[in-house]
Amino acid sequence: MSDRIIETKQLTKKYGNQTVVNSVNLHVKKGHIYGLLGRNGAGKTTIMKMILGLTSITSGSAEVFGKNIKGNEKRIYPRIGAMIEAPGFYPNLTGTENLEIFAKLRGTSAPDAVKKALEVVGLPYRDKKIFSKYSLGMKQRLGIANAILHDPEVLILDEPTNGLDPIGIAQMREFIKKLSTENGKTILISSHILSEIALLADDIGIIDKGVLLEESSMKELEKKNRKYILLQVSDVPKTILILERRFQVKDYSVQDEQTVRIYDTELNMGEINKVLVMEAIAVLSSGICNDTLEDYFRKITGGEGIA
Amino acid sequence: MKILLWAEFQKLRRSNLILFTIFAIVFTAVFVFLAGTTTASPEQITVGSVGWYMTMTQVWETILVLPAVIALLGSYMICREEQDDTIKNLRLIPVNERKLTAAKMIVLFLFSVLAYFLLFLLTFLTEMVLHASELSVKVFFDFLNMYLLEGVGVFFAVSPIIAIVPYLKKNYWLALVAAEIYSFAGLFMSMSNTLRSFYPITAIFGISGYYETTAQEKLCSFLVLLLCGTLALVFLQKLNRRL
Repeated sequence: MSDRIIETKQLTKKYGNQTVVNSVNLHVKKGHIYGLLGRNGAGKTTIMKMILGLTSITSGSAEVFGKNIKGNEKRIYPRIGAMIEAPGFYPNLTGTENLEIFAKLRGTSAPDAVKKALEVVGLPYRDKKIFSKYSLGMKQRLGIANAILHDPEVLILDEPTNGLDPIGIAQMREFIKKLSTENGKTILISSHILSEIALLADDIGIIDKGVLLEESSMKELEKKNRKYILLQVSDVPKTILILERRFQVKDYSVQDEQTVRIYDTELNMGEINKVLVMEAIAVLSSGICNDTLEDYFRKITGGEGIA
Repeated sequence: MKILLWAEFQKLRRSNLILFTIFAIVFTAVFVFLAGTTTASPEQITVGSVGWYMTMTQVWETILVLPAVIALLGSYMICREEQDDTIKNLRLIPVNERKLTAAKMIVLFLFSVLAYFLLFLLTFLTEMVLHASELSVKVFFDFLNMYLLEGVGVFFAVSPIIAIVPYLKKNYWLALVAAEIYSFAGLFMSMSNTLRSFYPITAIFGISGYYETTAQEKLCSFLVLLLCGTLALVFLQKLNRRL
């Protein structure tokens, strides 16, 4: 069996003439945390809803454990825990009472499942506070507790840190990481906060206006995020020749007719400038640059960037 | 189904609508008592007419209060999964939505019967104070039968409203307004001997034994209420398919 737990093929969702998700091919590997990154309204929630079978698919397919959810709900849902959009609970009941209802409907066999789930997210068991009096952060935690109540293999979490304070965000991050590293859970998580995804995810998918612009591992992305020497010169081919022969530079890239990037930042820039000028090449600018992940995302999403 | 029924009862904990229903029942019962004692002579109330209070209360509760509050509670129960956004949690279990709706309707049916039973206890205790010496086992069972049948009848009579309001995606308070107009119209329908067997609210009285009816009229009333239930079923099925 493939190590892909969730896979979508040309997944598309249209509302009338408006395409909100366009031919998305997404691959979530077993035991990995996959971060779906995109601005609000980019289509993250719709993708998750389609994967879960909560909304219909216009075209393409979404498979979990190698099967379409439609028609396999009874077999697949018990293996998934999900929190989509704002957590929905009965406002007149306490957190414990709410979870007890869902645990019983699920047929959760562990007698202390509710207590354990609440402990994990740091909410009190048998507290008298009713859900309508919960803060946004508490609601979010209860949503996660409901998702992990039945110890699922896969977690699908839509913006789980929404509404949490900075300490809560850090705790939630640690908790999600622990679920993946210690419990081997496969996690698909969405966020519009780049730093959150960067700190959590093993793999990342960048979505903008319903299109998955890039899907790669964080390691690959970090390579794109390294330091380099930026050279703007009058003659790029001649510069490359000099760099290769005189400085033995192999790791470089040509950006345009005047720009070269050299990824070996240990080189002596003064020496390079001197040699280039001596070879009658005008050096328009030179310096060490460092593209952040945010710069990268800004570039691929067309300049608007992600928080 | 057992767990779904248990869950539906759990969901009603601390519900303001339950308190509202109890308040409405007691308030109307007190109102009928006060209206009766101020308009009738003391002989009529305390000695002359055993069962007067039990008779009048069930009529006014059925015309003015209980259909509206039962319709309100029913629509609230059906609408709340979408309103509280719990439907997605239920779908991910997955819960059979037809069974879920059926569980809600069963709970509502029991609630309707229990509301009338509560009203019966309230009025019977008052009658015990007013006419202790004249009350008999027969009176007890006759009125108990009347009240319970009205509980069943009201559930069927308002069931189309309970189903149509969520189907039209309207606020559940609309059910209260619609059912209030619907039940109050019963007052005018009761003036016609023919119409009262066919209008669902007054058909309840035909079945419960409040009206003296022929077997044919009783059958008509029974069929009308059954039709109401069928209509509700059709809309609830359409609602489930759309969800």
